[in-house]
Amino acid sequence: MHIVVCMKQVPRDNSVKINADLSINADGIEQIMNLFDEYAVEEALQWNEKLGGKVTVLSIGPEDWKEQIRRALAMGATDSLLLSDPAFTNLDTLGAARVAAAAIKKLGDVDLVLGGRNSTDDETGAFAPALARLLGWTQLTYVGKIVSLESGKIVAERHLEEVVETVEASLPAVVTVVKGINEPRYPSLLRIRKVAKVEIPTWSAADLGLSAADLTPALKLVNRVPPPPRPKGEIIEGKDAAEKVKKLVDKLIEAQVI
Amino acid sequence: MNFDLSPEHQRIRAEVRRFAEQEIAPRARHVDETGEFPAETFRKMAELGLMGLPFPEEYGGAGADSISTAIAIEEIARACGSTALTYAAHLGLGCAPIAMFGTEEQKRRFLRPAAEGRFLGAFALTEPHAGSDAGATRTTARLENGEWVINGSKMWITNASIAGYLIVTAVTDPGERHSISSIIVPAGTPGMSFGKPEAKMGLRGSITNAVTFENVRVPEENLLGRRGRGLQQFLAVLDGGRIGIGAMAIGLAQAAFEIASAYARERTAFGKLIGAFESVSNMIADMAVGLEAARLLVYQAAWLKDQGRQYSREAAIAKLYASEVGEKICRDAIQVLGGYGYSSEYPLERIYRDQRLLTIGEGTSEILRVVIGRQILGEFVGR
Ligand SMILES: Cc1cc2nc3c(=O)[nH]c(=O)nc-3n(C[C@H](O)[C@H](O)[C@H](O)COP(=O)(O)OP(=O)(O)OC[C@H]3O[C@@H](n4cnc5c(N)ncnc54)[C@H](O)[C@@H]3O)c2cc1C
Ligand SMILES: Cc1cc2nc3c(=O)[nH]c(=O)nc-3n(C[C@H](O)[C@H](O)[C@H](O)COP(=O)(O)OP(=O)(O)OC[C@H]3O[C@@H](n4cnc5c(N)ncnc54)[C@H](O)[C@@H]3O)c2cc1C
Repeated sequence: MHIVVCMKQVPRDNSVKINADLSINADGIEQIMNLFDEYAVEEALQWNEKLGGKVTVLSIGPEDWKEQIRRALAMGATDSLLLSDPAFTNLDTLGAARVAAAAIKKLGDVDLVLGGRNSTDDETGAFAPALARLLGWTQLTYVGKIVSLESGKIVAERHLEEVVETVEASLPAVVTVVKGINEPRYPSLLRIRKVAKVEIPTWSAADLGLSAADLTPALKLVNRVPPPPRPKGEIIEGKDAAEKVKKLVDKLIEAQVI
Repeated sequence: MNFDLSPEHQRIRAEVRRFAEQEIAPRARHVDETGEFPAETFRKMAELGLMGLPFPEEYGGAGADSISTAIAIEEIARACGSTALTYAAHLGLGCAPIAMFGTEEQKRRFLRPAAEGRFLGAFALTEPHAGSDAGATRTTARLENGEWVINGSKMWITNASIAGYLIVTAVTDPGERHSISSIIVPAGTPGMSFGKPEAKMGLRGSITNAVTFENVRVPEENLLGRRGRGLQQFLAVLDGGRIGIGAMAIGLAQAAFEIASAYARERTAFGKLIGAFESVSNMIADMAVGLEAARLLVYQAAWLKDQGRQYSREAAIAKLYASEVGEKICRDAIQVLGGYGYSSEYPLERIYRDQRLLTIGEGTSEILRVVIGRQILGEFVGR
């Protein structure tokens, strides 16, 4: 079984600044593997341990994203692929999905693509569905458990807000996972040392046969501002706890919270 | 000259920090309050490959260098002093002597499982009447029908009652001065018994015991290194251990520094952030200076060790400075927090108590000054 995990490097927290040209400035903020992708990597590794085959971590990003690819390799991924090209700098979600789809087609033997339910920076949650569409594969989103995986078939639980759905689909498929599907392992320090020198294959737009038109964003960023500050809280006064609680409950009812 | 940590050092720091923040720090208070050994934490540390970090892969280690090891100890200490001492003693005192002086068979039997984290190692040098003056060791080991028979007692031994083996120093040729040897005693050997864990000011989750040996018999081949060379051996072992204690001092001080600087940006008095008062910002500045200087000294000693060069003096300097400045940093951090610094609601008083050992263990400050003074002035110092 060949599993590809789409993995993104993101700033550890969202206290980023916005540059004059509206791009994001994450200088000085530690870069980490997107939280949900870490679950995807772990899930791929666990199935790989059972079924054998390959786990390829795939990222679309600049050279320095190799850092998190190496982390995934240290966790146990067998293969890696960086899709990197100056032309990829301003991709929108659909463009990124086109790049990934081209790479997955080029790999040829992929049975399953795993990814996180969304990235913690752009948060569109649309990458994997777009990828599935472009590949013409089935998509299973919000997966909280893969019940079984065998050649040609997957059974998985989709963990939605109100219900858990068990679904069955034929492979190849694209699956996005939610937090809690597993407990991601820490990469071993020995493997961290060993993968330091691993050559990470890098494919450009030309390697993927992508044209400028494929990469032109459909979405134009018009403005980017920080959200308005949270409104101030209110301290409820009262002569004792009972009175304060009563006032609080009245306010909550008034605000239709309860 | 290059002061940058290598990408490998940075990766190890990032990974150990992440692990320590997620798995160790949340338990630090519990460990201090109850004195419980965090066994589950050590199981996970083994999975990460921490328990044998500096030892060769063939003996279950991760083959990392001394700088990486110092960084790992530093990051663990930033989260929990007790866990850091248990760890540093395991690596630097329990495992290192076997890696340095052990036979192939000893490495296979003791180092490998210890490095894999299947058990901890311990080193029993100090005695009730022989601390700094380790040459005054009274524990004896006599050879009888191919077995060492050990008698005596040890004091303040980190990890003793939970270790898989103890490396015990003992007089093997009475009459000759300094005729001390090291012998490996596996856990469970009849005649070896442990006092209950010592109640301590800090590092309360690190187990420390007195150990008694009554006709403890181990095979002759459990001699570690050459007979009669115990004194020279443990001086070499302590050189490495001092880098570990220096690293621990930096980690604890770093935690205190972070808490104090965050507080100075939040707390107001007299209508200003307290960080705006020069006496507070001066304390913060001095902390940063001490921390940077200590870190450079510790990494320098580790670097020299990695280069295979002499590092005994630099390790003594690093340990002395880091432990003393670390104590001052913790003291000042409490000062910055005022009454809250003194309260057990905040971690600072625990960090302060934990830090306090570091000017005592593995060479007191006074002894280190003797060592450094002798290197500069000559052997007459302290005589
Ligand atoms: C928590 C903890 C863990 C420990 N873990 C271990 C362990 O795993 N293995 C182990 O073998 N030991 C261990 N020790 C023992 C530790 O190494 C000793 O406590 C230390 O070496 C000091 O010895 P001492 O306590 O006997 O003090 P002493 O040597 O009696 O010193 C008392 C005072 O006299 C001073 N002094 C002594 N000689 C001189 C001199 N020549 N010049 C100037 N001043 C001098 C000292 O600096 C000190 O201030 C541990 C101790 C503690 C508290
Ligand atoms: C065990 C204990 C018992 C106590 N008992 C009593 C009691 O019985 N009654 C009582 O009323 N209080 C009591 N206190 C409170 C104690 O008096 C205060 O903790 C103390 O006054 C410091 O105030 P703070 O903790 O709010 O620190 P802060 O005033 O917040 O000070 C924080 C830091 O800022 C510095 N700082 C503040 N202002 C300035 C400035 N203008 N210039 C330079 N530096 C500044 C301080 O020196 C300190 O380093 C007690 C506290 C403790 C811990």
